[in-house]
Amino acid sequence: MTGTPLIRAEGLTRVLAVEPPVTLIRDVSFEINRGEFVAVIGPSGCGKSSLLYLLGLLDRPTEGRLLFDGEDTTGTDGNARANLRLARFGFVFQFHFLLPEFTALENVTLPMRRLGWLGGAEIDARGRALLGAMGLEGQEHKTPDKMSGGQRQRVAIARALANDPALLLGDEPTGNLDSLNSKRVIEIFHDLAAKEGRTIICVTHDPEVAASAHRRIHMLDGRIERID
Amino acid sequence: MFSRFSLLLGIALRHISKRKRQTLVAIAGVGIGVGFFLAVSALMIGSQNDFVETLIDAAPHIIISDEIRSPTPQPAVRAFPDAAVEVRHYKTRNEVRGIKDWQGLMRTIGARSDAVASPSLSGAVTLRVGGREEALAIVGIEPGIEAQVSDVEQYLKEGRLRNLETTQGGVIIGEEMASRLGVRMGDIMAATSARGVTRTLKIVGLFERGRGQFGGSSGYVLLREAQSLTSQPFVINRIGIRLDDPYAAEDIAKRLEARYGYKAESWQERSADFLSLLVTRNVIMYTVISAILLVASFGIYTVVSTSVADKRRDIAIMRSMGFSSGDLQAVFVMEGFTLACVGVLAGWGLGFALMQVLGSIEFNIQGSTETMPLDRSFFQYAISAGASLFSAIIAAWLPARKAAQVDPVDILRGAV
Ligand SMILES: Nc1ncnc2c1ncn2[C@@H]1O[C@H](COP(=O)(O)OP(=O)(O)O)[C@@H](O)[C@H]1O
Ligand SMILES: [Mg+2]
Repeated sequence: MTGTPLIRAEGLTRVLAVEPPVTLIRDVSFEINRGEFVAVIGPSGCGKSSLLYLLGLLDRPTEGRLLFDGEDTTGTDGNARANLRLARFGFVFQFHFLLPEFTALENVTLPMRRLGWLGGAEIDARGRALLGAMGLEGQEHKTPDKMSGGQRQRVAIARALANDPALLLGDEPTGNLDSLNSKRVIEIFHDLAAKEGRTIICVTHDPEVAASAHRRIHMLDGRIERID
Repeated sequence: MFSRFSLLLGIALRHISKRKRQTLVAIAGVGIGVGFFLAVSALMIGSQNDFVETLIDAAPHIIISDEIRSPTPQPAVRAFPDAAVEVRHYKTRNEVRGIKDWQGLMRTIGARSDAVASPSLSGAVTLRVGGREEALAIVGIEPGIEAQVSDVEQYLKEGRLRNLETTQGGVIIGEEMASRLGVRMGDIMAATSARGVTRTLKIVGLFERGRGQFGGSSGYVLLREAQSLTSQPFVINRIGIRLDDPYAAEDIAKRLEARYGYKAESWQERSADFLSLLVTRNVIMYTVISAILLVASFGIYTVVSTSVADKRRDIAIMRSMGFSSGDLQAVFVMEGFTLACVGVLAGWGLGFALMQVLGSIEFNIQGSTETMPLDRSFFQYAISAGASLFSAIIAAWLPARKAAQVDPVDILRGAV
């Protein structure tokens, strides 16, 4: 079980069917193990986000295979992919995408309620605990527009962790935060990897974040330049 | 499953609660559509029922008369159907009018537990009082039986049908006729038939004014009286039948006519013109009503499609969280459906209120105060709800499909 890598990409290629066709990702192969914190870096427009969407099963490769936990995800249908995202993945984007009509607590509990494994009271308690762990005690009933950027991003992280995901995917999660809040978020990510054994793949421009990761995937023009 | 449903419904409710004005407009659209549907159909169906009831009960459900639809062939033709020689200029045998073997017919009908038959004989007499003369079509009846077959008793302003039995030579005529002759209850008149028989008749009842044939030129006497006045003892020329189920009339009439040969006319046949008019009326009504409900569902379409357009980003977020495209489609269908449900409830309230208003309007028809006949049956409420909810689901489903088709990656790429 622990022998198989959590993620295994084999010749992943993603060509956009526009005229002329655009190759976002070209023949990418790598493995990522459990508990690893991997940074994806490279110049703007090199395909980092595109790779993340493929790994998060939001997008489908036009060629190649993607194995998650040893299982080939290539041919799976939309519902199976949605279920995998729901139960195993957590996303954090640059623009802390919270649902504006819902409070912080509601945003965090939404994935749990959709999954339906826990009862209402447990969901509520877990939501509060996650917000507490992000230093957001007392903010549970605020809507996103009443919170600061750093608070919102921590709500987004709490929501990404709601269903206890094996894999956390970040797309420049600190890109829109000041240095103090960036530091906090990176500390949280490190804790999640080190203490909770979660796998983290994080696209970043921040050299500090990149330096602190276990490994770095360097990308250029849709290709992996090197991994170190 | 239920928790998923309530979660999606919760999201839908949250969405619509944040766009109050559009929501209100869509609900008002459905509400007004449903409300007026109820008011209009209550009025249309109410008046129709009232009208049909009058048609049904104005006269017996089936009337068997001594007429024959296709006259019987002449005896000579009957005897030699394929004769080479054609008999012409033969004299028509003047058969005695009346229903032969009417007792047998009465027995056949009497054997049914759901039918009552009343025999009668009609003829013409001339009434004479002082210097005045009036022609009167008399109908000889058995009051006890006739009362079970038709509503004549209800049309009496004075006296009772039974009085015919208790008073020798009793007659019931209409108020109009009475005033033309200048007579009142209890007055005595001379009646002469075509055969020259003359009798004195005493007024024992008066029909209300405005009851068509009853008021004007018809009068009721005892069957025996009519038979002796017209010198046709034991003859009757009409049998009126009342059925427990008026809608069986057409069928039973056909069978009676096939068996006995005499023309048996059901109320449906009698009112065929009116009934086909009602069908046209209903087609028009339901067409207009459907158009109203269709227009109401445009409001729902607008709300849902702008909601989908505004929420593309949220759709992408929820997809990334693990909601399926079906979940999102359901959210938006539920938005439309919820609006329609609230609209239907509002419409029920409005429709009920409109019916109360319509029902409270009183107007005078020939001296009596009447209110509009309204059909307040639950069926109309169910139909209006069913039609609205169905069209709302379609109206919401069309734009909701777009929510399912949103590719989260497109949105996420565009957001950066
Ligand atoms: N619809 C599109 N048509 C053409 N090119 C596109 C389209 N969408 C994305 N791209 C291109 O794909 C490349 C990869 O984008 P992205 O994965 O967002 O890069 P990164 O996240 O590294 O900045 C970019 O160069 C971008 O211009
Ligand atoms: Mg990017």
